[in-house]
Amino acid sequence: MTDYKSFFDEIKNKVLSLIEEASSIEEITEIKNKYLSKKGEFSVLMSKIREAEDKKAFGEAFNNARNEIEATLEAKLNRFKEEKLNESLKKESVDITLPGNNYKKGIENPFYKVKKEIEDIFVGMGYTVETGPEIDSDKYVFELLNIPKDHPARDMQDTLYIDDTLLLRSHTSSVQAHIMEKAKGKPIKIICPGKTFRRDDDDMTHSHQFAQIEGLVIDKNINLGNLKATLELFAQKMFSKDSKVRFRSSYFPFTEPSVEVDISCFNCHGKGCPTCKGTGWIEILGAGMVHPNVLKMSGYDPEIYSGYAFGVGIERVTMLRYGVDDIRKFYQSDIRFIEEFNKKVEE
Amino acid sequence: MLVSLKEIAKYVDISGLTPEEIASRLTFSGIEVEEIKTLSQATNLVVGKVISCLPHPNSDHLHVCKVDVGTEILDIVCGAPNCRKDLKVIVAKVGAKLPGGEIKAGKIRDEVSNGMLCALNELGVDPKFLKDEQIKGIEELDDSFEVGDTEVLAKLGLDDVILDLNLLANRSDCYSLYNVAREIGALFNRKVTIPTYEDEGTYVSEIIPGSETDKCDEFYLKEFNDIKIQESPKWLKEVLRSQGIRSIDNIVDIGNYVMLLTGQPIHMYDKDKLAGKDLTVKDTYSTKVVALDDKEYEIIPGDLIVASGDTPSCIGGVMGLKNVEVDENTKNIVVEVARFHHASIRHTSNRLGLVSDSSQRFVKEINPHQASSVLNLVSHLLKEVSVYSKESKISKYDTVDHTQKVIECSYSYINRRLGTDFDKETIKNTLTSLYFELSEKDEDNFTVKVPFSRIDVDGKADLSEEVVRYNGFSNVKSALPYMETTVGGLKVEEKKERAIEDLLLNRGFDEVLSYVLISEKDHSLFNYVNLDTEYKVLNPLTEDRKYVRKNLLTSLLRCAEYNLNHKNNDFKIFEISPIQTVNKIESHLVLGFFGNEYRQDHFAARPYDFFDAKGVLEAILTMFNIAESRIKIERIENSKELHPGRSAKIILDGKILAVLGELHPSIKNEFSMKNTTATVLEMNLSVLFASRSANNRFTQISRFPTVTRDYAFIVKEDIKFLDIKRELKKASSLIKDIVLFDIYKGEHVKEGYISLAVTVYFTSMDHTLKDEEIQAVDKKIREIISLKFVGEIRQ
Repeated sequence: MTDYKSFFDEIKNKVLSLIEEASSIEEITEIKNKYLSKKGEFSVLMSKIREAEDKKAFGEAFNNARNEIEATLEAKLNRFKEEKLNESLKKESVDITLPGNNYKKGIENPFYKVKKEIEDIFVGMGYTVETGPEIDSDKYVFELLNIPKDHPARDMQDTLYIDDTLLLRSHTSSVQAHIMEKAKGKPIKIICPGKTFRRDDDDMTHSHQFAQIEGLVIDKNINLGNLKATLELFAQKMFSKDSKVRFRSSYFPFTEPSVEVDISCFNCHGKGCPTCKGTGWIEILGAGMVHPNVLKMSGYDPEIYSGYAFGVGIERVTMLRYGVDDIRKFYQSDIRFIEEFNKKVEE
Repeated sequence: MLVSLKEIAKYVDISGLTPEEIASRLTFSGIEVEEIKTLSQATNLVVGKVISCLPHPNSDHLHVCKVDVGTEILDIVCGAPNCRKDLKVIVAKVGAKLPGGEIKAGKIRDEVSNGMLCALNELGVDPKFLKDEQIKGIEELDDSFEVGDTEVLAKLGLDDVILDLNLLANRSDCYSLYNVAREIGALFNRKVTIPTYEDEGTYVSEIIPGSETDKCDEFYLKEFNDIKIQESPKWLKEVLRSQGIRSIDNIVDIGNYVMLLTGQPIHMYDKDKLAGKDLTVKDTYSTKVVALDDKEYEIIPGDLIVASGDTPSCIGGVMGLKNVEVDENTKNIVVEVARFHHASIRHTSNRLGLVSDSSQRFVKEINPHQASSVLNLVSHLLKEVSVYSKESKISKYDTVDHTQKVIECSYSYINRRLGTDFDKETIKNTLTSLYFELSEKDEDNFTVKVPFSRIDVDGKADLSEEVVRYNGFSNVKSALPYMETTVGGLKVEEKKERAIEDLLLNRGFDEVLSYVLISEKDHSLFNYVNLDTEYKVLNPLTEDRKYVRKNLLTSLLRCAEYNLNHKNNDFKIFEISPIQTVNKIESHLVLGFFGNEYRQDHFAARPYDFFDAKGVLEAILTMFNIAESRIKIERIENSKELHPGRSAKIILDGKILAVLGELHPSIKNEFSMKNTTATVLEMNLSVLFASRSANNRFTQISRFPTVTRDYAFIVKEDIKFLDIKRELKKASSLIKDIVLFDIYKGEHVKEGYISLAVTVYFTSMDHTLKDEEIQAVDKKIREIISLKFVGEIRQ
């Protein structure tokens, strides 16, 4: 009986040593073609099974030899492929310290940031945001706000006029008058942001254009304590959780009593620092109880209704909040200035 | 308003109160003290006597002195020309702190010097109060000063503390020291003593006061005869110095002093120079006059003139005239106390550019109920500082209603308005302390008579203010308002604006802010989106701020120009702002691309172009669900500002929605952006927001496979892609989309022609597409290209 095993082992060892010696994908492929392809040597040997005495033993020896060669060959081929891939990946490697592609977000002038924040704080308290014309008649800017014809606030020296009656509003309080007229005696709870204008030369602290947010609440039984609590809440949201509010007696024609509102310094928390000029307090806005004449002129009975109003300067708050020293910076809109405010989330 | 505490102490007891206490209390009750000043902060001073004064061996102007200061003899080198033996001087000893620094022991050019001999300005006195020789030399003390006395400042009247009040419009009463004293008395519950005097006149003046206009409703006068005009006494000079006023002579000084005390401006006429036997206020003159400042002023009807015998003698309330000036030869004077209407004085004063202490007081409104007592005070003081033979009784023209104002109020009203719970006693005491005469009507209601000086108090709301400012705002209890719950929120327009802002911020645009007022030149540019008439400012402050802008593009370019000039080279910016013109208020968006877009740092640059702006336009339209088919896109003919081949006007619902494009090279030159790209867009957001936009509803996505087919068309290059796309879409409802993937010009394409490559997407909602269906549409597509666009298809 022919020793099939020895016969195939011999062939196998010969091929394995060829595989062992092969040093490229091409050589391996050549071996594969020579021995394992359809017309390769193993196919030829297989045809000899018909002549074999013990077909089973022949087949077994044949398969063992063929399988082992195939496995070794594939393993070596894969190793070569992997090496080749690694080599090409290595060539594709980049300097991982180079800058990333540009997905930078745009930044809003901090003016808008603060404006939106103030709006959102009051919207959260149930206020409606209203707007009014920047160019308005003296009726709404002055008359209905208890600033009569001869009042110095109306002077050409301080106010920019379009003609005898039209002017660039010098405060957003004019929107109050419009809304009160429309509300026809109903309760009101609004804020009115907008641009305002004064006949001022521009310098570090003055600007012929600036912006205010006016607030107005009218209902039965509104009092000065309501104003204080509202502004306290505002200061705590806007500046610091522990902000306190202090009133000083003041004067505006359209409120009585009128107050200047100071907040406790958010920087030093009242100890005194350069931000608050050592006083522990920062002047932040003007406010007061709506003057009975103003209510009366807009169709509210001051014996039944009362209200409070306040006006806060957007640039003023922004300057305080971020330590900006010059109001003109907002209007120059230098990209370098704007991009300093690139933090989206603030505590 | 400056307030000398030394002077105030004559009228109210402020003993034991520090200037800081007074200032703080005043400030919180509505009279802001801006600054507490001392006339001199110098320390360690002593009166000395020069016992020897020899020339300095190493100097041509210095003196080497020995100075007796009582306790010791000091060696002091002094450079003053008037330094001499036996002179009594102010010595700043070693360690003294002067405004110019601390005095140290040392040598001046080898000679020992242990101190300094002082001039008053070296102690901090404003030179405007000093004579020339007092500034050039050291102060020469008279014999009343004793060697060794260290209370030098007190002796010189320089130990005063001054409060600088920043008075608000409602408290013009505090332009009077008497009223400040009353206020301090009320706030600190201290005794107030305001002197009053009787009319000691002995005859009736022949000068008759009168007024022919209701802008002067009160005119009082008093005549003084054989008056002696001379230097003012020391006490008066010192008071005025403390109050920041220079002494002139006794008559002028008394006028100023009385105004300080009472708030009432005083005017004096040389009686013998008056043209007639009257002083009558008129407002009908058209003439030219020479005022006390020797300048000529043009008077027009409306200006108040005090005339005598129809000859102008004074610009009422503003300034006296030269022709009736009181001078060193004046013997008889007429003193005027009048009220001129604040607005009239303001108009005249502004128009003439002539502002005086008197005009400033009248502008702020004065108390019209004190004319007699003011004149009696004048006569009392004139007796102290001058000599005169006799005075007339007061003559008056008076149409003022002198009854006291009465206000009805209640305790509950005050607490209700303030959110306080003051008890009745507190409220009552407060108002009484502030000189209101209160009488109760019942448990809750009361009336008050308003003190004459408080012309600002009109109604019960004012009383609530008095109560709270007096007792302190800390009594106001914080409590959020109880109201019917309402839904707050932004207006729809602002919500939409914020959505656009978010889009742009997220796409890397920075948001800028600019001025509404622009120059004439800027206002003439970029008028595409808004053609309405603009507003022009009547009284602009500068030429640059003369027009109310009606478009935003120039503002944006000015901002870009600023940035480019400051070496910011590559950026995208935008602004949203209301735009108000004569017939409408609209909201505009403007944005611009400048320089390059970079992939990383500054490499892989791609210059911005027209399609960047177009892309933003499309993104916004998509966001507002406005189909491309609804807009019309047109070229802008003859634009001088935009590149004629790379700009467009967008029409929506027949209205101009937007303009966009690359800038015209000539405009780029003007805005110093010659060497960079500049692509802009301005959009009228109001047109966008007003446009009907389809509701956002879910539509089914086809379950069946999409088939794609690529085409390349060769057409004439002036054919618009959008026209082809719109036409092809009409070919079949199976075409879901047509997407451009290549544009080619050059080899293999005829001159004047262009090759456009597109992918056509076919889908059906209800079945899998069959080849025959696609073929049918394909045939149509070919027909359209060859017939409608005279093009050929390469596949």
